[in-house]
Amino acid sequence: MNADLVLVHLYPDLLRTYGDRGNVLALVRRAEWRGFRVEVAPVSRGERVPPGAGIVLLGGGTDRDQEILGEDLVGRREELDAAATGGAVVVGICGGYQLLGRRYVAADGSAIDGLGLLDVVTEAAAGRMVGNVHARAWLDGRDFDLVGFENHGGRTRLGPAARPLASVPRGQGNNGLDGTEGAVQGAVLGTYLHGPVLPANPDFADALLARALARRLGGEPLAPLGDRLEHEALARARRRGR
Amino acid sequence: MANGPRGRGSVPRRLGPLDAAAEVLGRAAGAAVRKAGLGAGHSLPGAIVERLVPGYLARRAATLPDGTVAVSGTNGKTTTASMLRTILREAGVPTVGNESGANLSRGVVSALVAMPRGTRLGVFEVDEAVLARHAAELAPRVVVLTNIFRDQLDRFAETEMVAGLFRRTLAQVPGVLVVANADDPLLWRAVEEFDPLGFGVAPLPGAGPGGADAEPEACPRCGRVPVYAGRTMAHLGRASCTACGWRSPEPAVVAEVLPGGGIDRLELALPGGRVVLPVGGVHNAYNAAAAVAAAGALGVGAAEAVRGLAAFRPRFGRAEALTLGGRPAWVFLMKNPAGAGVVVREVAADPRVGAVVLAVSDQVSDGRDISWIWDADFERLAAAGLPVVPAGRRAADVAVRLRYAGAEPAPAEEDPAAALRAALARCPAGKGIAVLATYTAMLDVRHAITRTRRDRMLDVRAGGAGDAGERNR
Repeated sequence: MNADLVLVHLYPDLLRTYGDRGNVLALVRRAEWRGFRVEVAPVSRGERVPPGAGIVLLGGGTDRDQEILGEDLVGRREELDAAATGGAVVVGICGGYQLLGRRYVAADGSAIDGLGLLDVVTEAAAGRMVGNVHARAWLDGRDFDLVGFENHGGRTRLGPAARPLASVPRGQGNNGLDGTEGAVQGAVLGTYLHGPVLPANPDFADALLARALARRLGGEPLAPLGDRLEHEALARARRRGR
Repeated sequence: MANGPRGRGSVPRRLGPLDAAAEVLGRAAGAAVRKAGLGAGHSLPGAIVERLVPGYLARRAATLPDGTVAVSGTNGKTTTASMLRTILREAGVPTVGNESGANLSRGVVSALVAMPRGTRLGVFEVDEAVLARHAAELAPRVVVLTNIFRDQLDRFAETEMVAGLFRRTLAQVPGVLVVANADDPLLWRAVEEFDPLGFGVAPLPGAGPGGADAEPEACPRCGRVPVYAGRTMAHLGRASCTACGWRSPEPAVVAEVLPGGGIDRLELALPGGRVVLPVGGVHNAYNAAAAVAAAGALGVGAAEAVRGLAAFRPRFGRAEALTLGGRPAWVFLMKNPAGAGVVVREVAADPRVGAVVLAVSDQVSDGRDISWIWDADFERLAAAGLPVVPAGRRAADVAVRLRYAGAEPAPAEEDPAAALRAALARCPAGKGIAVLATYTAMLDVRHAITRTRRDRMLDVRAGGAGDAGERNR
């Protein structure tokens, strides 16, 4: 099959704790409904990312899952760098977001190297940040609502090369202090939001698809979808308390 | 059983006068709640007694001549405890237990306050989060561990944390007999040092590799990818690791699922013989195997246990059969992707089901993060072509989930009574309705059923014992 979009789901056997399958499903359906052919390529330990990837998705896992990945993940730096340079959008969610960063500092002070694709550093701290989030995102010249549920112990701080994905009127976001949520650095994005984030935020899903399908679209915008249900759910989420 | 070995080998203690006085007050409060129609009174007596005489739970539990059993784990606590109590009752051992999933300490204390004279043994389902504390107070002679699935991640964060909690808890209860699910690699690995009595279910021919509802698959010892010789549901099955040599044990009690099951029928071959249960699904085969194994640990023979099990009837929202508008309605509690997947499989395959209500709420007792609904196999509902009504506080999100599963959902109805009406309107003649609901959504649906009966809007008769809303989280 000659796909319009190759969607790489990285470590689907381990990083799938928070409904990450929903993120895959949202991208696949929203592309297919517009007539694009999508190929989902699950890539696990010891397997290579196929050439021509349009989107690479990393979900969240438990601390142990992320520990198990250790070596395999570090070995992917060049591969993912090459994918991003070749036009792929690389998206990390929750644990995946932390792994895309430069470093994760555990509670005992030991540091684990991340992929270094995002200029962010995450430090574990006491007290998890848990609850509904309503954020306002800005991406590719458009701003849109970003809703979801966060549940993380790590506090993430952005370095100068990354910019926040969103500001958080409600919720803790990256660190509970600077009012930011997620990070964007060129073709690489990260967010703490579950929900899962893409079915809950059709505009965010479409922003990723528009990037990944840029060549096929040839400058045209994505065709609108009859996605009233998604926008109704989003409208309710905006009104939901913490 | 009455002659069976006694847990702690100590003479049961008597209750002091202060504790006895507090019990009288607690019982009176419970009776007042019931009389006022405010509920089943499963929590208030406990709250009062806990306040008046701290430490009551441990003192009262110590007066039970045959000791206590604690049942914990993610799924199946209520049903396993109920099956075990049925077996013991049929074996002539009067038991006390916390009913209706009231498994916080208040529910356990309330049960002890209300227990009749002559009660010999306590069977308590205990929430994972409070097991460590209750194990110290109950000093159980047997601890039954059902499974570990990801569930309420906003509360427990991670499955490994639950496994660690179990291990530390058991280390605090010397001489405890552990009954554990041998098909759950993460759970078994966490407790194998305590030499547990294992139960399991014979692998099912149709069960494929873990889908999105399974836990991440990694050898529980070394983290490498395990090999499954057979599976039953999600990540449960016979696993081994070619890298480090760890393997699932051969369970002492194995249930074999026989053909001819449905949403409310399950025939099993167990070590003590065959039994037909009025509940469906492989998860209930696990509950039955756990109950028979636990009964064995208490000295009830396998054949006697299986005979007793035949008397089991489902509880509160666990495949409970109600009547709605003259048609059958089956209510299933749904807590996490794995449990939902098993129910969906049965519902989609049962020709008696004509419409489905899928109710998801996001209160603390439901789990506030509903991301998990994307990991549950609702695609199977869509493929079955059944009309599905999204319901609960998160009905709008359920509608989105169903759309991406390939279904065309009915309009979302947050209000449970409206959702039931919508399902009835879409249900072909001669068929019934399956309600899949998270915890508080299930309470809301049941409440709607009784209320609509009062209003005579729907002809609804509850087939099981009524209960007005205990929260189990």
